[in-house]
Amino acid sequence: MERSDPLPPEIELAQLLQRCAARDSAAFRVLYDRTSPILFARLLRMLRRRSVAEEALQEVYVRIWERAAQYEAHRGRALAWLVTIARYCAIDLMRRERLTLVGDNALAEVADENAAEPGAFEKPNHFDDCIGQLSQTTQQCLTLAFVEGRSHDEIARLTSNPLGSVKSWIRRGLISLKECLSAERQTV
Amino acid sequence: MKVSNRELLDRLAAEYVLGTLRGNARRHFERWLVSPQVKEMVHGWEQRLAGLEPSLQKITPPAKVWQGIEGRLDLGRSRRSTVRWLAIAASVLLAVFAFFTLRPVELVATQQASIEADPQTIYWHVELLGDNRELTVQALATHPLESGKAHELWILPAPGSGERSPVSLGLLPASGTQHLVLNAAQRAALAGAKQLAVSLEPAGGSPTGLPTGPVIHVAPLSPV
Repeated sequence: MERSDPLPPEIELAQLLQRCAARDSAAFRVLYDRTSPILFARLLRMLRRRSVAEEALQEVYVRIWERAAQYEAHRGRALAWLVTIARYCAIDLMRRERLTLVGDNALAEVADENAAEPGAFEKPNHFDDCIGQLSQTTQQCLTLAFVEGRSHDEIARLTSNPLGSVKSWIRRGLISLKECLSAERQTV
Repeated sequence: MKVSNRELLDRLAAEYVLGTLRGNARRHFERWLVSPQVKEMVHGWEQRLAGLEPSLQKITPPAKVWQGIEGRLDLGRSRRSTVRWLAIAASVLLAVFAFFTLRPVELVATQQASIEADPQTIYWHVELLGDNRELTVQALATHPLESGKAHELWILPAPGSGERSPVSLGLLPASGTQHLVLNAAQRAALAGAKQLAVSLEPAGGSPTGLPTGPVIHVAPLSPV
């Protein structure tokens, strides 16, 4: 029943990464089995085309194997580190493939995902309060960028807003989010 | 309003992590990741924005993805030792057969170079085989590249050889492995050469036969 665990324990993942850093290919295979369904789902979300997501996944695990020694356990969770590699890889690939929007139902999907069960990812303290203080439109822009991997241009088209506004909402939204998160932290 | 350098960097770090920093700006920013200060900023934003991670239904990828990874990283070796020994035995037989009947088919790598970027990403691994007769290039990571451009590989002239011009080894693949049989000019340039370089060229390669764009990587050649 190991496979059906909701999420592999973080400590185990961190240990697997350390063994990968020591060039243990058996550990790499276990890491792949445990985490590839998560990363594949995340890549599909950004890249949409299955064939491209498969190519990206291959690239992601090649990067993970090559960079395993760079994972620093004290700096964050292993799964978050893996997902970050996947996101950056997807962004690089979009650029190469010149991927653009396929379909225009992205907005509806984003709303659904946000309503999903509490995530496996550690949110910073007070994240929900802080993100809630941003306007709906700003939240939507940030989500389209982060979750869907959309560019400024694509977000402007998807939300039917001027490009300049989208850019400034995102910039100001990020600044407010940072201020709010650091202020909240100090009062705790 | 005056924006300090630090503020500007932090803004770029935020958009880098968010994913809206694209194209050349993204590539340039990645070069700054060697700075511990910039790395720290990026890490801060990765933690902040992790709150946006969606929880998704897992999707199991097809088996061919793992096979591809295994092939690219050459992981099969240590685990399938019997198969490996059989393969070695077979290739020895083949080499013996080839030695007596044909020209040798299996060349041994004699020199290698890794083309790396700042945060220790190896983009391409180059091997020179059989005393510089052939070359293989393996793309290990996707190098950012704007459309209409290509990466070209060069032999930098050997120090003290009197030769001043780099000699092209052709275009680098964006992915996968490329194999090249070297011509006399390339072999001559490789004799004594210590470094390879990568330049940014128009798609299709340098029109002049010499690098026309910026040299973006230089990698030492070392014996295998």
